[in-house]
Amino acid sequence: MNKNLFKISPGFEDIMPAEYRELVHDGPYGKNLGVSDLGTFKELLEEHPLCAGCGLALSLRLILASLPNPEDTIIVGSTGCSSLAFPQVGVHNIHSLFGNQNAVASGLKRALKLRFPEKTKDVVAIAGDGATADIGLDMVMHSWFRRENIATIMLDNEAYANTGGQESGMSPQGTVLYMAPKGKKFPKISLPEIAREVGCAYVAVGSPAQPRPLEKMVRRTILVAREIGPTYLQVFCPCPTNYKFKPQETVAKIKQREKEGTFQTREYITLEAQKLLTKLEEGKK
Amino acid sequence: MYVAVKLEDGKCTGCKLCIFICPEPNVLKFSKEVKKVAVNEGRCKGCGLCVTICPKEALASASIGN
Repeated sequence: MNKNLFKISPGFEDIMPAEYRELVHDGPYGKNLGVSDLGTFKELLEEHPLCAGCGLALSLRLILASLPNPEDTIIVGSTGCSSLAFPQVGVHNIHSLFGNQNAVASGLKRALKLRFPEKTKDVVAIAGDGATADIGLDMVMHSWFRRENIATIMLDNEAYANTGGQESGMSPQGTVLYMAPKGKKFPKISLPEIAREVGCAYVAVGSPAQPRPLEKMVRRTILVAREIGPTYLQVFCPCPTNYKFKPQETVAKIKQREKEGTFQTREYITLEAQKLLTKLEEGKK
Repeated sequence: MYVAVKLEDGKCTGCKLCIFICPEPNVLKFSKEVKKVAVNEGRCKGCGLCVTICPKEALASASIGN
């Protein structure tokens, strides 16, 4: 993205919203900032309507701060809680129909390769568990089969949270929700393992309880997708509204689930991706 | 009644743990000069995540406004 596109014309500074002015002056574009710099620059996410203590909002905030190249990143979102936050995001983003995010992202990546052959443009599909594992599983799997160079990030809140709390394929077995009073009958889908078998070059499961490892995972997901092939990152973000716990317990909930053994941080890297990552990470040092 | 987080003067050591745990953007700002955190109360939703993580108990939930 050309930085002049969003710069304010002289004389119009005072009529632009304060948030926009801040984004132009203190935004992270072209500065190579990361999670450790949070709090010192204007973030790419603006005041959003998600609930207090929302794990998804926290994950999205950390993901946006970890993008390796925010000015040339295009995010494809889908229906769900995350789509309520995307109008407040300062990165190019597209809202697709429920579950279509990976199909839209595939076309977009191909078009961008033709239109800007000399530039690096990252296409990232960020959607909830309903759009990735249930309704959009078809589109997600086929984008992996076709070896598209797109990164898929799932914000896994284990429920259809903004429609009243129905169970999703990612809810753990036995979960009782407002709209699932009898408890879920079958276990959580192990999508990371499916992604590994399908042939994703890099697969990871993380959580916002560990911001720096999550940043590393986001960067790896995008860098491997750029060079090798499809990648998948699953971020566990508990939902205080539908899982009926206090908003200040979001991170404690992740740690509790880790202790119980029902949530595990893990990474699957192919040999090819490992070689690339070692090269990139050594070059950085 | 609205709830927002309040910073107690002198207790903050600038470890930035609260900034990494806040789900709201730009609520907690870090000042490089004084190496301390400042709170923008108008943006805070009062979830209390930062209160639970602060090792120095410098943050507390408080009601603001009427």
